[in-house]
Amino acid sequence: MIGEFEYLLITASVRLGDEAYGAAVREEIAATTGQRCSLGALYTTLERLENKGFLETWMGESTPQRGGRSKRMIRVTPAGSRAAKEFYDAVMGVSRGVSWAGEMP
Amino acid sequence: MNRLLDIASLLLEVEEREAVQGDLAEAGESTWRGLLDVLDLVFRRQLLLWTDWRPWLAAFGAAWPVSLTLMGLSMAVSTGLQTAVDGRPVPLIILTSQVVLLPIWAWTAGFAIATLSRRTLWIAAVCALLPCLYCLSKFHHSSLSKFCLLLFLPPAVWGVRHALRAIRIPRGSAILLALVVTGLAIYIPGVLLLNCALSWPAWYLAVTAKRSS
Repeated sequence: MIGEFEYLLITASVRLGDEAYGAAVREEIAATTGQRCSLGALYTTLERLENKGFLETWMGESTPQRGGRSKRMIRVTPAGSRAAKEFYDAVMGVSRGVSWAGEMP
Repeated sequence: MNRLLDIASLLLEVEEREAVQGDLAEAGESTWRGLLDVLDLVFRRQLLLWTDWRPWLAAFGAAWPVSLTLMGLSMAVSTGLQTAVDGRPVPLIILTSQVVLLPIWAWTAGFAIATLSRRTLWIAAVCALLPCLYCLSKFHHSSLSKFCLLLFLPPAVWGVRHALRAIRIPRGSAILLALVVTGLAIYIPGVLLLNCALSWPAWYLAVTAKRSS
């Protein structure tokens, strides 16, 4: 089963859709979890997920905002979606009936 | 500070460097924060490399022991040539074998180490050079320069360069080199079995040349 950070990365990529790339995913994770993720954790996890067949990445377009540098685009594969769902179901299953389950943050 | 960040980024692969520098520019992070992020990624990448067996073999199974052995061979060649120059009798066959073996063995070792693990080559280089520095500091000979210990370095570096340029060795040549290295290893000072065992980089090249053919 994938780990917690791998789940965050896959889910953030799915939420961003066609706009999923390194910096955007990093921002999405920070915005939704309140935790900053390092570039090191992001890119090593991207590579690990790609090696497992859960993601595809490629170099995308460059923009002036990025100093003319290309983005590393991300697309989640069907296998990645299944892996994320497996993790989600496991967390939901093990959290059933605990005191904090169902509480809004 | 920006210069430091650019230099640190050079430690990344080309595409990753492009993406990371772009991400940092887009995020508008401070240069100091960006530098820490890049160094964190570089450190993680290096750590990941060492989960494979190849860097360990290249650094500690080849670079370090072969460096020690080749320093001994360099010393033997230098002593033999000095004796010949002085007009004293030398065992010609042994000396000729050592003179032939030294560059071949050094070249194959450099080539094999760089082929095994290009991205951790700097660690292998440190493992090869540390014994050299130690021996250089302890070397005392009345008629030989201490740098005679380093005769093996130029062909070894040449072998590394060829490997980094992805030059392929034909299978026949690789097997011949391995046989020459192993066969002539009996003429160098040291434990015979150990010397033959340390010719494994040449056999590694022969095996991998066979696979790529």
